[in-house]
Formats: sequence, C-alpha cells, structure tokens
Amino acid sequence: MKIAVVGKGGAGKTTTSAVLARSLARQGREVVALDCDTNPNLGISLGVGDLETERLVSLREQLDDGDVEHAADWDEILDRFGTDGPDGVRLGVITRIENPDPG
Amino acid sequence: MLSSGEFGTSIVVADLEAGIGTLSRLGDSQVDLTLVVVEPTPRSLDVGRRAIDLARENKQGRVIVVVNKVVDVETDLALVREKLGDAELVVVPDDDAVLDADRAGTALLDHAPDCPAARALVELVDLVFDSAA
Repeated sequence: MKIAVVGKGGAGKTTTSAVLARSLARQGREVVALDCDTNPNLGISLGVGDLETERLVSLREQLDDGDVEHAADWDEILDRFGTDGPDGVRLGVITRIENPDPG
Repeated sequence: MLSSGEFGTSIVVADLEAGIGTLSRLGDSQVDLTLVVVEPTPRSLDVGRRAIDLARENKQGRVIVVVNKVVDVETDLALVREKLGDAELVVVPDDDAVLDADRAGTALLDHAPDCPAARALVELVDLVFDSAA
C-alpha cells in the first residue's frame, strides 16, 4: 500500500506522516517513510534526531549533485541513503519522487 | 518513483512537499490513499480543496482529510464542511504537545504519546485499513 500525505505547509503534514508511519510499524507492518519535502523534517518527527536527519539530507544533496553513483533499486537506496528509525520504520530522504526511476 | 514497484509488501508513507506541486506532477494512480492534511483556516482549506480535486482527478486512491488543530469542533468543522463538502474527515484536536515536541526536536510519540493529538492520529491507522479491505 502506498500513502501520499499532502497539504499546505504548517498544517501538520509531517507530524501526521510520522505518527502514522510508526503506528503502522507498531502493528508489525514493514513501513518505508519517504521525506519528499523541500524542507525535510520527517526524520525529526519520526524520532531519529536532528543529526541523523541532517546526515540524510546531505546524502540526498550529494545524490542530487551526482557525486554518488545512483543506486539500482529501492532497497539499495534505503540501505545506502536511508536509516532505520524507531519502531523499525525505514526512512529515506528523496527528491523528485514524481520521476519514473529510482535514484 | 512511487510506481517503480520495488517496495514489495512494505507500506510506503510519502510526506510530499508543502502545497500541491508534487501531487500535480505525479502520474495517475500512483498511490492507494491520499491523506490531505489541513487546519481549519480558509487558506489551508483552499489548498486542501485543490489537493482533493487533484487526487480524485488523477485517481490517487481513497482520499481522507486530516483536520489538525481543531479548537472548537462545531465552528471549525462547519468551515471545513463549507470548503471541502462531504470529504471523509479525521479530527485532531489542537494540542500544545505537538508544538512542544517540535521545539524539543523529538517525535510526538516519544514526547507525549498519550496526548489528545497523538491519540487521534494513532486512530488513523484503523481507518486506513478499515475500508481499504
């Protein structure tokens, strides 16, 4: 199942995404949380902390700048550019989610 | 990207950019559920209205509206209904704990797991699977 979370900035979009992702994971489901916002804060709201969130954002910027070889599939992307958050939620910070290919 | 199908049995929760930019560029039928998050203010509800229309137009699955920061249920929901019509709603009470968690740089579920806003948002899980079945 894929869930998109949208709304005007400041409406509570990221808090809603984070609580939903962790609640689903607590039910024993495998959850991938994708931060597609231009102002990426989902890591903080998920509880991975601001340092780890910053690290993921900077990895994403390297990927955008083409400094890092692009990964083959989602699993690899999350292994290399994501992190494991509380309750087992896997978090990835990404751009251009509307593009057809990963990476 | 969402359609690349590499996620297997995982549930994907994609926190899109603020506004409707990404949603407008996603291809048709990319997700099974669109959560439109609003607060009961005219400007937020205008964005919400456009998001609902886009999600329906582009067949982005079921649409649920999460109404955050509700202070007065009667007044706030009257405005929401006026702007969003008969959309399926989840009501989340205004709660200082959300701001406190943000300020502390922590997750709401770690900071105040039993606060009213967290409890309302946790219930969203049951709704997601309820009629998705």
